Amino acid sequence: MKLTDSIAPSPSVVARDVGKETVILDLASGLYFGLDPVGARMWRLMTGGMALAEVCDAMIEEYDVSRADLERDTLALVQQLLDKQLVMIR
Amino acid sequence: MAAFAQLPSRRQEPIDGLPYHIGISDGAPWIELFRTGKGYLLRFPDLADFEVSADGCRAWGAPVPQICDATIEALFLNQVLPRMLSRQGKLAFHASCVEVAGGAIAFLAETGRGKSTLAANFAANGYRFLSDDTLWLEPGGGGYLAMPSHPSIRLWPDSQGIFFGSQANTASSSTAKGRFLAGAEFAYCEQPRRLLAAYFLGEGQTQQPSFQLLNPSDAMTHWLRHAFLLDCEDHMLVGAHFNQVATLVNSARCLHLDYPRSYEDLKQVLSAIVDDVSTESLKI
Repeated sequence: MKLTDSIAPSPSVVARDVGKETVILDLASGLYFGLDPVGARMWRLMTGGMALAEVCDAMIEEYDVSRADLERDTLALVQQLLDKQLVMIR
Repeated sequence: MAAFAQLPSRRQEPIDGLPYHIGISDGAPWIELFRTGKGYLLRFPDLADFEVSADGCRAWGAPVPQICDATIEALFLNQVLPRMLSRQGKLAFHASCVEVAGGAIAFLAETGRGKSTLAANFAANGYRFLSDDTLWLEPGGGGYLAMPSHPSIRLWPDSQGIFFGSQANTASSSTAKGRFLAGAEFAYCEQPRRLLAAYFLGEGQTQQPSFQLLNPSDAMTHWLRHAFLLDCEDHMLVGAHFNQVATLVNSARCLHLDYPRSYEDLKQVLSAIVDDVSTESLKI
C-alpha cells in the first residue's frame, strides 16, 4: 500500500455518522466497527475519492500533527480496514 | 400492523433444513428461526411454532399440546411481534419504557437485569408506562416516538409484592413471572411519546446511581445489541435498520446507568433518573 493509493468501501459495507464518530457495518460478517472523530474524518476523506496523500494534505490543515505521524497513522488505519475487509484499494 | 391467529395445538415435527439462527439460553436452544417457502417459521422448542408471512404482517401460532394460551400470548407479544415489526422495517428493541417530563425514557438490558422492575417502580410512583419488555419506535416529533405496547408488566415473584401487594390486577402468565395489568395501581400511557433518553443498565456494581453519557459509536452498538431483527441475512433490510439506528442515536441521549440492586434504593434511583431527565429537558 502506498500514499498514492486510493481506497473505496467494500460493497458489503454500510457506514453512518453518529455525532462526530462513524460506525461501519459489514453486512457480510454482521460485525460493527466504530471510528473516533479523527478516524471518522479520515474515513470520510478516504472514501470520498482522495488518494491517501491528499487525505494527509487535508488532515494536516485541520489537526496539530506532524506530516510523518499523520502519514503513519493514515497507513495504519487503512491497513486495519483492509485486514477487516472493510475497504479495498481502487 | 400485525395480525395474529392461533392455530390448534400440534406436536413439533422435524423441519427440513437448518435454522438460520438459533438463540441459546443455559446451553439449550430457546428459539430457532427457519425460512419457509411462504416466509419464516419461529420455533420455540417444546412450547410453540409461529409461522410468519414474508412481509412480517401476519403470524399464526400453534402451541405444543398442554401449552396454555397465556404462553402463546406472551411469546407472540415479547418475541414474535417485535421481529415481525423489524421485518416491516420498524425499530423494535428489548426494553421497557416509561413517561417522564412529557416524553419517554427507555431502559435496555439483558433479561434479568431490571428493566421491568424499573418500569414498575416508575408506574407505582405515578409515572405512566408504555412498555415493560418491547420498545417499538416510529419516526416522529423531530426524532423517534415510543409507541405504547401491551398494557401489562411482568415481574418476578420477589418484585411483585414490593410494588403491588395482593391488590394488583393480574393476568395469567406462562412463566415464573407474574403479569400485572395496568389499572389503578399503575397507569398505562396510551399515547406515543417522544423518546428523550435511553438508559443501558449496568450490573449493579455501584453504591449510588451513576450516569455516564455514551459516545455515539458505543451508543449505536448498544442499541444494535438490543434490537430485534427477524431476518439478519436480508442485507437491504439490515442496512436500512442500521441507518435508522444511527438516526436514533443522533436524536436521543444514550447513557450507561448503574445503580444498586436493592428494593430499598429504588425510590432514590427513580429520583436520580427523573432529575437527569428533567435537567436535560430544560436544556432543550
